[in-house]
Amino acid sequence: MSATGSRSGAPLPPTGWQTLGPFFPQALFRDGVDNDLRRRRAGAPPTARGVPIRLRGRVLEEGGGPCVNALVEAWQADAGGRFRHPLDPDWREADPDFLGWGRALTDAAGRYEFLSVLPGGYRDAAGPRAPHVNLAVLASGVMRRLVTTAFFPGFAAANAADPVLSALPDPALRARLVAKDEGEAEGARIFRLDLVLRGDPETETPFFLD
Amino acid sequence: MPDHPLPDCFPPYDEAGQPQVPIEGYAATARRNPARALFRRPHTRTELTGPLDPAAKLVPGEGNLAVPGPGRVALGQLIHISGRVLDEDGRPVRGAVLEIWQANAAGRYANPLDAARDAPLDPNFVGHGRVATDAEGRYGFFTVKPGAYPVPGGPGRWWRPPHVHVSVIGPSSLSRLVTQMYFPGDPLNPLDRILNALPDPAARERLIARQTDPAEVEGEWLAYRFTLVLRGRRATPPLP
Repeated sequence: MSATGSRSGAPLPPTGWQTLGPFFPQALFRDGVDNDLRRRRAGAPPTARGVPIRLRGRVLEEGGGPCVNALVEAWQADAGGRFRHPLDPDWREADPDFLGWGRALTDAAGRYEFLSVLPGGYRDAAGPRAPHVNLAVLASGVMRRLVTTAFFPGFAAANAADPVLSALPDPALRARLVAKDEGEAEGARIFRLDLVLRGDPETETPFFLD
Repeated sequence: MPDHPLPDCFPPYDEAGQPQVPIEGYAATARRNPARALFRRPHTRTELTGPLDPAAKLVPGEGNLAVPGPGRVALGQLIHISGRVLDEDGRPVRGAVLEIWQANAAGRYANPLDAARDAPLDPNFVGHGRVATDAEGRYGFFTVKPGAYPVPGGPGRWWRPPHVHVSVIGPSSLSRLVTQMYFPGDPLNPLDRILNALPDPAARERLIARQTDPAEVEGEWLAYRFTLVLRGRRATPPLP
């Protein structure tokens, strides 16, 4: 084992989190590339499988002001509900052209947007997962990433059975994680989910323990 | 698919080793963290998995922030930061994407959001870089030692000690890490409210790099080592 290592077999303590700070370099973000979950790599064509979507919204702080220069990160299953990862027993059937990961850097109005496809649901040991996109927010003042999950309208029965959405005790909180259907534009279905990092009980987004 | 074991078990963080909010004098910590308690959720496949080859999307560069071109060298103390990225079992994390960003030697970020300052920009300092870890989890950057800078606003002005921001995208969503690396022996370290947000002194100590014995350093780059441990272990430990 290394000098830092666990000769005793005891686990190493994970490194502590610190804030992203206000100055994440805009040069490390390529708009239209990094926030496009449909492409495995820059320059690759987007996957042909699934219903194209744009998931967008604003990241807001207490008082409703925008969170500027914040990172929003997204991770989701492909249109068939699979991940290219060994912890998915069906990974061999995963869409080879789909990445499923992306990040967006919020603009002066706190806006983020992801280009993706509608994720498929899947059966998990914890219960049947409804179509969803996991989101994480990193920003100045956020000392550890804040994680939540976007669900989709039109899947009422699946959403009601989802084990993560069901972790929220209050129906009003569950409804707050279901993105709003904003029709279609530019060949994609548009969904909106604002992320209110702190607000009054009627507006604050529910976040999960990471 | 990778032929090496990936973590599949993510015990809850030890709160004493993680930052607590709000932080006095850092107003954004009060405005940007939920008033409501976080909800416990099961770790399903979406939480346990993540992109296996993030470097295909976020393409690594040379990892030299201090020499943007021939004959162009940034001002300040030239340093080399290297180390390993490990999981909680001490296994190297391969192919992780590491990004760093920092102020220049004068304490100024090359970022339009860090304007209205007396501290000068350095046209020869890039200020950010990206590399991927090798098969042993190793990484390295050439850069300059960042300057300290005052935190704007009040109440209770304080100075950020020299620090380097580090972001790691590892093998699972749950192994994601963003942190800051500090320099050993800096008198501003014990006064820094962001470092002090970690209640456990040992956890704070782990954010401070070790200086390599200067007698062993060849060339002009003063060397520091910084080990990063990502959350995650194997549910079934390997046999000894």
